[in-house]
Amino acid sequence: MLDEWSTNILHHDPMKLYRAKRDASHRSVTSKYNILGFISSGTYGRVYKAQSYGEEGTIHAIKKFKPDKEGDVVAYTGISQSAVREIALNREINHENIVALKEVILEDKSIYMVFEYAEHDFLQVIHHHSQTLRAPISHAVLKSLVYQLINGLLYLHSCHILHRDLKPANILITSKGVIKIGDLGLARLVYEPLQPLFAGDKVVVTIWYRAPELLMGAKHYTKAIDCWAVGCVMAELASLRPIFKGEEAKLDSKKNVPFQRDQLLKIFEVLGTPDEKDWPGVVDMPEYQSMKRLDHFANRLSDWCHSRIRATQGYDLLRQLFIYDPERRLTAKDALQHKWFQEEPKPTWNAFQSVPQHQIPPHRRITQDEAPSMMPAPQNTSHQGHGHIAGGVPFGQSHSKPGSSNSFASQSGGAAYASGGAPPSRKKARLG
Amino acid sequence: MATDFWESSHYKRWIVDRATLAQARYDDLQYVDDPEYLDFLAIYFANLITKLGKKLQFRQRVIATATVFFRRFYLKNSYCETDPFTVIAACCYLAAKAEESPIHIKVIVAESRAMFSQENYNVKNFSSDNGKIAEMEFYLVDDLEGDLIVFHPYRTLLSLCRKESSTSSSNSEEGEADEGPGVGIEDGPRYWGTGEGQLELPSAALQTAWSIINDTYRSQLCLLHPPHLIAIASIYLTFILHPPARPDAAHTSDHDHANEPSPEHPTPARQPRRSSRQANQAPSHATSPKKPQDPIAFLADLNVSLPLVASIAQEIISLYTLWDQYKEDVSSEASKLARELTNSPMSSGASPLKRAGSRSESALTSVGGGGTPGAESRDDTVDPEGNYITPAFLSSVLQRMREAKLMDMAPRPVAVNKRLERTLAAG
Repeated sequence: MLDEWSTNILHHDPMKLYRAKRDASHRSVTSKYNILGFISSGTYGRVYKAQSYGEEGTIHAIKKFKPDKEGDVVAYTGISQSAVREIALNREINHENIVALKEVILEDKSIYMVFEYAEHDFLQVIHHHSQTLRAPISHAVLKSLVYQLINGLLYLHSCHILHRDLKPANILITSKGVIKIGDLGLARLVYEPLQPLFAGDKVVVTIWYRAPELLMGAKHYTKAIDCWAVGCVMAELASLRPIFKGEEAKLDSKKNVPFQRDQLLKIFEVLGTPDEKDWPGVVDMPEYQSMKRLDHFANRLSDWCHSRIRATQGYDLLRQLFIYDPERRLTAKDALQHKWFQEEPKPTWNAFQSVPQHQIPPHRRITQDEAPSMMPAPQNTSHQGHGHIAGGVPFGQSHSKPGSSNSFASQSGGAAYASGGAPPSRKKARLG
Repeated sequence: MATDFWESSHYKRWIVDRATLAQARYDDLQYVDDPEYLDFLAIYFANLITKLGKKLQFRQRVIATATVFFRRFYLKNSYCETDPFTVIAACCYLAAKAEESPIHIKVIVAESRAMFSQENYNVKNFSSDNGKIAEMEFYLVDDLEGDLIVFHPYRTLLSLCRKESSTSSSNSEEGEADEGPGVGIEDGPRYWGTGEGQLELPSAALQTAWSIINDTYRSQLCLLHPPHLIAIASIYLTFILHPPARPDAAHTSDHDHANEPSPEHPTPARQPRRSSRQANQAPSHATSPKKPQDPIAFLADLNVSLPLVASIAQEIISLYTLWDQYKEDVSSEASKLARELTNSPMSSGASPLKRAGSRSESALTSVGGGGTPGAESRDDTVDPEGNYITPAFLSSVLQRMREAKLMDMAPRPVAVNKRLERTLAAG
């Protein structure tokens, strides 16, 4: 006969033996890594800088997904779609220009993803040049950054992965000047999807980097949306400010996706209003009628580039990345072959190769964690408080700027590790 | 990665050998009365995943992914130390997300509970607590080492086989070839072999191959072999049922098969009989003068090991033989395929003729056992009590294993002795 102990397990906690075994063999995050400090936080969690106790003390960035709480009690509520994507995709890919996942640790109802560490990111470089140096990014650096970005994107696209949230904050740079695309939290496989892309996520890509077909309400989209975002990032690197800095219209109470009037106007002001000749498919777009009611603009990208990207070929690359028709827009593969990259100065694998040491952006600042779930007791040395984060270093801002629309939240949501990739109005795909 | 199997986690970390498989069942073997029950449990659990998946309106690929997750989990764990029903629910929950077709955890828990508590499964204490499944999902991801992208034979089948008549049944007969808008099966090259050419397969044959692939998940094949080889073995077996060189034979034997309530098509929109007839007739009546393709030669020309394909085919047949002793419902597709495959010499094209006109399980029984239709004449394929292996029986087998394991684990000194005795008795 079964004793009470066994009966109890069978009837009330059938996984008890398994759990006990697993927990006994578990090696905790803090037993493997020394948490050095807090880097940033975002929609889905918090990012820490950590040093491995093994392997010669390599530095890592550990992204801790927010545990879900029911009241004050942390409970298992199911892994978010975003975390599943990020884990699944990262386990398959391996490329010099993509942030490498070292391991995933599941512990105390939280998920920790251990990534290779990168000292800088595009947003930080832009701020460094606009705030500190007050000078544009040099042509050689600009070209190297864009080249490596496209190289990483080409890899993702050849794996049939859409990134769907490319923006300066998500593109990292190591201390050796190597570009690492980060944050695959919104990325997904488009190879033989079981569901149309639109069915999963109603809104993708942070508004300023969102391609016109998405703004026009397209139900289906392609790799071309990432190429548009690359154009936006390249323009931002060249001018040190977002090229299409529109205000996002929010979802209404019924979660309908609104017409993004302001963002489209910002695009049209530079690229002109698209017509059927530029983009035959535009007339079939759900928002075509709304678009027709907007003021009409002529293309002045050439003027825009004149003072910002002086090279003719640089202008040509940007022009082709900003082609309205997604089918004719430059692909990552063709972009990498563009003449601009073949003329001097050639792109370099250390993007900072030509930069004097004192002009290289400062190291990522780390702080004490204000929500000290990971951090040991405060260390008296590196006390910086949390008011100091903003400065010239754009990390750790987890709140919208006053008066801004929601879209700013993800823009300022910090580094690629932590932003969670979610455009703010995206209805969370999490189920559970 | 999505196209390159050789670079995938699936190939690098999750194709194992038989020794590893045996090692994984070592602990279970200490507690099970008959080692063969473990193979039946493998069928039973896969059937449960399929049933639950259909209840949740999963596409076949989601069901297959959930099953692979389940198999991989039990490479590292024992049935007797876990609750497979909890694991099944968590596998379905996670697979839905991994395949970008998420469903709410509440729905999984409710449907699992409703299904497992049915009389024929007899699992009374499945928790209604969402947290239990969410916790299991957590451990599951850990045991799966985060490798959540799985390759399946379906892709090979669809990319390898071009239907002879693609206009007559664009969305009913080809499984799930009709994917999301604008993203076609042609998007990317085949990841193995020469990547050249396509096989011309009648719709009904394609459907049979698809069904055989579904059935392979009842075994451990998905852990042992790359998916494209399983697909080719399934096509190979399909040729036994649909002899390619004899359009007349294929024609007469096709219709009852196409009439099956197909596992792949939960949607009622399908009109199998009509479309499959059209599809089948089209080639035989309207074939162009060009020389018909020799499918066997086509398979032979693929850049794969044919002996290996043949041995996989043999393993599939063994699965059917085993499965034939297992009885879940009155009608079973597997049972039919089992009849046909186990009764036909591998080289013979004659067996489909045997079933011409047969339309039901009972008729097939007569083909297999030679008895009268409807009679339970397969008395050589029964469990010790003289019955088929049933889900309820397997639930009780599992229950006994779990109890025995717990007795050993219970915090009592006598338990240690018991385990020792058992081990000694086992030799």
